[in-house]
Amino acid sequence: MKTRYDAIVIGAGHNGLVCAAYLARAGKRVLVLERSDRVGGAARSEEVFPGFRFSVFSYVVSLLRPEIIRDLELPRHGLHILPLESTLTPLANGDYLAQWSDHDQNRRELAHHSLRDAEAYEEFGMLMYRMARAVKPFLGRVPPDPASLAPRDLLGLARLAANLRGLGADQVHALHKLLTMSSADYLDEWFECEALKATKSASGIIGTFLGPRSPGTAYVLLHHYMGEIDGVFRAWGFAKGGNGSVSDAIAAAARGFGVEIRTESTVARVLVRNGRATGVALESGGEIEAALVVSGADPRRTFMQLVGAEHLPQEFVAGIERFRFRGSSGKVNLALAELPDFSCFPGAGPHLRGAISISPSVDYLERAYDDAKYGEVSRQPYMDIVIPSMIDPSMAPPGKHVMSIFVQYVPHNVNGGWTEAKREAFGDTVIDTLAQHAPNIRSAILHRQIITPADIESMVGLTEGNIFQGELALQQMFFLRPVPGWAKYATPVSGLYQCGSGTHPGGGVMGASGRNAAFAILGERP
Amino acid sequence: MKPAAVVIGAGVNELVAAHYLARAGCAVTLVRSEVALERADTGWVTPRLAHDLGIDPRLLGAPCADPWAIAPLPGGGRLELTSDVGASAEAIRRLSARDAERWPEFCARMHAHARVLGCLYAEPPPDPMATALRDLARLARGALRVRGLGRSGMEAFLRLLPMSAADFLDDWFESDALKGVLGAAGVMHAFQGPRSGGTAFGLLHHHVGSAPGVFRPPLTNLRAALGAVGGVTMRGGTVARIETKESRITGVALAGGETIPAPLVVSGLPPARTLLEMTDPGLLDPQLVRALRNVRSRGVVAELELVLDRHPGSSTLVIAPALDYLERAYDDAKYGRVSTHPYMEARYEGTDAQGKHRVRVHVQYVPYALRDAVWDTALAQNFGRAVLAKLSEHAPGLSAALVGQHVLTPHDLEHLYGFPQGQAYHAELALDQVLWMRPLPELAQYRTPLPGLYLCGPAMHPGAGVAGAAGANAAAVILGDLRRGVLKVKE
Repeated sequence: MKTRYDAIVIGAGHNGLVCAAYLARAGKRVLVLERSDRVGGAARSEEVFPGFRFSVFSYVVSLLRPEIIRDLELPRHGLHILPLESTLTPLANGDYLAQWSDHDQNRRELAHHSLRDAEAYEEFGMLMYRMARAVKPFLGRVPPDPASLAPRDLLGLARLAANLRGLGADQVHALHKLLTMSSADYLDEWFECEALKATKSASGIIGTFLGPRSPGTAYVLLHHYMGEIDGVFRAWGFAKGGNGSVSDAIAAAARGFGVEIRTESTVARVLVRNGRATGVALESGGEIEAALVVSGADPRRTFMQLVGAEHLPQEFVAGIERFRFRGSSGKVNLALAELPDFSCFPGAGPHLRGAISISPSVDYLERAYDDAKYGEVSRQPYMDIVIPSMIDPSMAPPGKHVMSIFVQYVPHNVNGGWTEAKREAFGDTVIDTLAQHAPNIRSAILHRQIITPADIESMVGLTEGNIFQGELALQQMFFLRPVPGWAKYATPVSGLYQCGSGTHPGGGVMGASGRNAAFAILGERP
Repeated sequence: MKPAAVVIGAGVNELVAAHYLARAGCAVTLVRSEVALERADTGWVTPRLAHDLGIDPRLLGAPCADPWAIAPLPGGGRLELTSDVGASAEAIRRLSARDAERWPEFCARMHAHARVLGCLYAEPPPDPMATALRDLARLARGALRVRGLGRSGMEAFLRLLPMSAADFLDDWFESDALKGVLGAAGVMHAFQGPRSGGTAFGLLHHHVGSAPGVFRPPLTNLRAALGAVGGVTMRGGTVARIETKESRITGVALAGGETIPAPLVVSGLPPARTLLEMTDPGLLDPQLVRALRNVRSRGVVAELELVLDRHPGSSTLVIAPALDYLERAYDDAKYGRVSTHPYMEARYEGTDAQGKHRVRVHVQYVPYALRDAVWDTALAQNFGRAVLAKLSEHAPGLSAALVGQHVLTPHDLEHLYGFPQGQAYHAELALDQVLWMRPLPELAQYRTPLPGLYLCGPAMHPGAGVAGAAGANAAAVILGDLRRGVLKVKE
């Protein structure tokens, strides 16, 4: 039996699912094809070791657009987000810096390190809040093409200019600085406490192949400041049941609108006839026809593998080849018999319910970057550690815990290529670094899962293991993402669209790319 | 009747501003508080400037080294790049046939991009927040110029600006030697490595005004040419204070106690020095004071002046063999150390009065602030010796011909020429410190919060590399303010 679909979405990552749900909501018959045995892409939960569940890749939620949560009624479909309340940074001298969600507590803690910084923190927070608010509307919008003379683009540009000018001079200038500065320089203007600057600038380097002193990282800082849960700024959280629950909730919502989702169905090729996408060919054989094909895979995979350069203009292919991925992060997931005991903050205090950031100084992060620049895993990497079982006990057997460690820099193109021995050595580096701060960790480990950028690529299909489907650098954003002139989700192949994180605005479990793509396809304004 | 004006500073911008004001009828006194640089200025002179000041453009071009770069290759031999695009391509072909094929297109593209910047540099920066029709028109003109590059040119231009020189050059070329020479132009005077974002813009900036295929700023005799024009009263002396009365400018007080009354003062000194040290900071908004302190001007260059008794053999020797070499040199500076293997560029500067040959060596990265040492004479001497030893590896006859040498550390450059922290550009050339952000949005139009006090130094748009443009732009703003009565002065 052959069913004709209105649209086929390739990949059940969160953006693919969001796009499918919005298309189906508008009355389209949508089929989602997923290579692996479950939905979620990089936002998935898995019982990696018996009794221990992990958010295997992506591990926190904050950027998910509130309008998506609303439109798709995600809480009704099982999404439950638990707040992440603090960040602890162990310092080299045995002390620590803690940032708490409680305003007064946070101020007292900062003042203990620097009175000046405690003062500046409020003003800084206000400015970032305003900046994030100023930028947010652009995330949920199809970027206008500045090279086009089409009335729609000119209008879009005029609207953009008016929006920007409407912010007022101070905010426009602050935004200019955020877009062009390094996170270290930007934070130097505000703070003196090294650990505070380092911990904040660490969010500016995530997913990039840049050090905190390189211009362009301040924007990523803002990108991470946009975190919100149901409209609350700067709050990060865990999805109950791991990040796979986010994908499951979106999938449930999509199914509710009539979307059909097939797992273990690998798309081998996008069928192109006379410059038009007509459906897909499956790896298992067989073809499925549809009026539209929407790819949630990253741009290189979509165009160079699924479509093929022969169906594309040469200039476009050159643009895709130039688009940079360079995965720079890895993960280590640990099953623990007991909680880590941090020397700087002994015992099972409230800090274990938040993030623990190994980022004692900006120089520390720069040195970590230096190793990666020349093709090695950082000898002393930046690590962002969370213990989800502290907040959601269902993640581990009673009394036991799961720990998720995000690690940077772990270059995709490590010297000599990734081998089994290199992966183990990378795992050892992470454990060694952690043991410097929490000496009991070695004996507490029951199992460990080590994920390199090469693993991310082979497990989830993200080219070069880049967690954002392409670096979030200024030259690869907005109307330049992924290729200038093709940032509006449409592609040179008519009937083929992109909806992944490799399109504007990209990055994080945000869903904005999927939602924008759906609106672009439906010809509506988001 | 135009007001009397005092211009402070010894640079080419101050001289240009002074001449513009004098030609408009101001009685201009130029007070040189620093030693003037005794060499040709780097930078392009806009044709309009030459025309406005009545200088024959043919007098301005200083002999530019050609080949503009001679880079020793690791296996022996050298890469010579000249202003002849075809000849350079042939030289590149020995390293990579693919790069040689791409060279002409690269040169043409970069030249087109640089022309857009050149137009933006020849007038005060556009102001995206402008409301006046005149300013909006300027903004629109800038946008149209970028669009004038055509779709692919415009996209390439916008994509280039935030990129790192390394990423940008990797898109074009494969030869390390070629990328090293070009990447060096991207980081010149910057406290950034070639992998840092924004350094592709540095490469483009240093190409403005150069011939196609030449990626080093041109040289000019503008100062010498203006010296012959006259019309400006020149005097030595150190300005101690800019005098104000009820936050209006009344003149300057010299270190010796003498005062020069004038309702109009134009300073080519660094903005922080002008506003925080020479006027009463109490007159300024505390936000501006903080912002001034945050203007980045970290010196990373030392110079070595060599005197030789015979010609060094090559016009410009560039030691920047690969992008990784530059990046490692930057790594040292990041942690407050002088580069173990620095980027060096030795330029032949002709003969002195005694007939001896002069060579100037640009050495980068040499941080102003060292983490584990303090710059003193002994350290400077050791540093000079080390540089000379490294240079001699590539220019064997050098030490035998040497009759004199002089080291200028970033501290020496600060004392001698008033470069803040030894930074020749006064404010680092970075994307957050260019155009309407240079050096700060509040000061970008050359005006200060004190009516009658203007800024015209290299910290102002378009900065160093375009000789005299900041001075000409400042003068245009001042004369406009006088014409429109924005700046009211008692005559």
